[in-house]
Amino acid sequence: MTRNGPAALIFHTLVVIFMLAPLVIVCLVAFTPENTLSLPTRGFSLRWFQAVFHHPDFVQSFWNSLWLAVLSATLAVALAVPASLAITRWEFPGRGFLNALFLSPLIIPHLVLGVAMLRLFAVVGAAGSFGWLVAAHMVIVTPYVMRLLIAAISGFDRSVEQAAFSLGASEATVFRRVTLPMILPGVTGGWLIAFINSFDELTMSIFITSPSTVTLPVRMYMYATESIDPMMAAVSALIIGITAVAVLLLDRVYGLDRILVGQH
Amino acid sequence: MSFLELKNITKRYGPLTAVGDVSLSVEKGEFVSLLGPSGCGKTTTLQMIAGFVEPSAGTIRLDGRDITRAKANSRGLGIVFQSYALFPHMTVFDNVSFGLEMQRVPRGERKPRVEEALSLVHLSPYAKRYPRELSGGQRQRVALARALVIRPPVLLLDEPLSNLDAKLREAMQFELREIQRKVGTTTVMVTHDQAEAFSISDRVVVMEAGRITQIDQPYRIYEHPETEFISRFVGKTNLLPGKVASATGAGATVSLAGIAVPVETAGLSVGDTVTLCIRPEKLHLTAPSNGLLTGRVADRFFLGSQWLYHIDGPLGTIMVVTPNDGSTPAEQGAPVGLEWSPSVVRVHRGAMAEAPDVALEVTG
Repeated sequence: MTRNGPAALIFHTLVVIFMLAPLVIVCLVAFTPENTLSLPTRGFSLRWFQAVFHHPDFVQSFWNSLWLAVLSATLAVALAVPASLAITRWEFPGRGFLNALFLSPLIIPHLVLGVAMLRLFAVVGAAGSFGWLVAAHMVIVTPYVMRLLIAAISGFDRSVEQAAFSLGASEATVFRRVTLPMILPGVTGGWLIAFINSFDELTMSIFITSPSTVTLPVRMYMYATESIDPMMAAVSALIIGITAVAVLLLDRVYGLDRILVGQH
Repeated sequence: MSFLELKNITKRYGPLTAVGDVSLSVEKGEFVSLLGPSGCGKTTTLQMIAGFVEPSAGTIRLDGRDITRAKANSRGLGIVFQSYALFPHMTVFDNVSFGLEMQRVPRGERKPRVEEALSLVHLSPYAKRYPRELSGGQRQRVALARALVIRPPVLLLDEPLSNLDAKLREAMQFELREIQRKVGTTTVMVTHDQAEAFSISDRVVVMEAGRITQIDQPYRIYEHPETEFISRFVGKTNLLPGKVASATGAGATVSLAGIAVPVETAGLSVGDTVTLCIRPEKLHLTAPSNGLLTGRVADRFFLGSQWLYHIDGPLGTIMVVTPNDGSTPAEQGAPVGLEWSPSVVRVHRGAMAEAPDVALEVTG
């Protein structure tokens, strides 16, 4: 390995600082006893964390977002596994079109999707429905799952399936015992990225959430437009904390590079 | 009736015929190799036996049963793939056990059978490892154990040794044959490597452009190749174009650019265009005055146990292989004579398909 020169070292250090500083600052500010987002802060207090739990609408939105992300990521995976298997392995009419269709939400601005979904929901009389919100999120997160799965399946040695088949396994058994375990890194990685994208989605959700289905990002956005106080920082710190614990657990249990890079 | 019988098997992909009218009988316990250059249809033939490719025409019978349209998972054949195709997420034990599990062999019976298969391929200590923790040769053995543990009526090997390095490949060849003899499984192997096919097969099937051109025991194919293509594909050979100058009942004399060469082939008539095929190791170097042909040493290559000479003469460049018996080899540029016994000359009717130089390039 070649060593970095001093200029490169300084550059990389600055990039890392730039990436981490906002997160660190938000977490620090969350513990302020004061009424404003001020730094440096005097003293240490958990009052803004307590404030979060005294806002039941925030707690409700957190659960909304969690369920929404879990459901849309899971459904996206359930759709993307057969779809990417078909697209990578078979020649059929409309294959290119389907591939482009599944990936298209990546290039359509969420703003446009939001307006379109709002109209659609009004037309079908689904405004405010949680189910339709899940469907809309599924549209957005499916491309991410598809990308990872298509990459995982393209590198797949078909003769491994043939081997299982020749040993007497049925098609269903081959899929369950061989194909699925072998593309599992792509599946879990896709699910994780889909979950994060759904949990994080604001632009489209602003248009299509109703008071009972408001997601956490939308709730935070609405709150922040009215008042800026350290409770925002406390909510952010909580999310950062939960994410960090989840990632650490995943790394311990599975190994992050196995999930995200797809190594066996 | 033979144990495994292919009758007029044909596979067409649109206008392209990958395999045309292939018929082959394999006896129980026999080791048969399909040999040919890439694209000759040998792998497609194997895949039709395995059930991964459906023949366009013809029938495949196994032990009297028609399996032409049977699904691959109902044939019960053992297959070793070129890439080994091990299950990467399972241990060696689980890989080998998979087939037994699919056959619903009770758990208690599975363990001894897996252990038996692993000890057959000398991998007993590796049962708990994952394929990624094994060397190429070890993976190869796992693949073999996995295929054999289900006690298949026929073992199919698809270029099983081509991913191994030269030394290991040779060792595995012998081991493969030894294991096959021990368990007595009827085996069909696909390979493009003639040395591999010759060293371990009972019979070799030479395929060319989707068709079988010769089926015979290895040494007979080497000594009596039925076509010019085979003589070129199988080992090194000298191909010399000529015309029949005179013919008697049992032999003939062929004129090669004015040089008369006796041959022992019957049934030739004067004026026939023929190609003579002489293996380099059947030629001997002598003093220039004694030879049927004379020439000069253009190049010589030391191969350890042998010397390979390129001799330039009136018929172009001729390859000669002599055993390294410890004596001093002929010098580069030295004039030499070539002699051989008429019985080692094979005669193919017709002109050569390509330029004579090709004979020097194809080394098998």
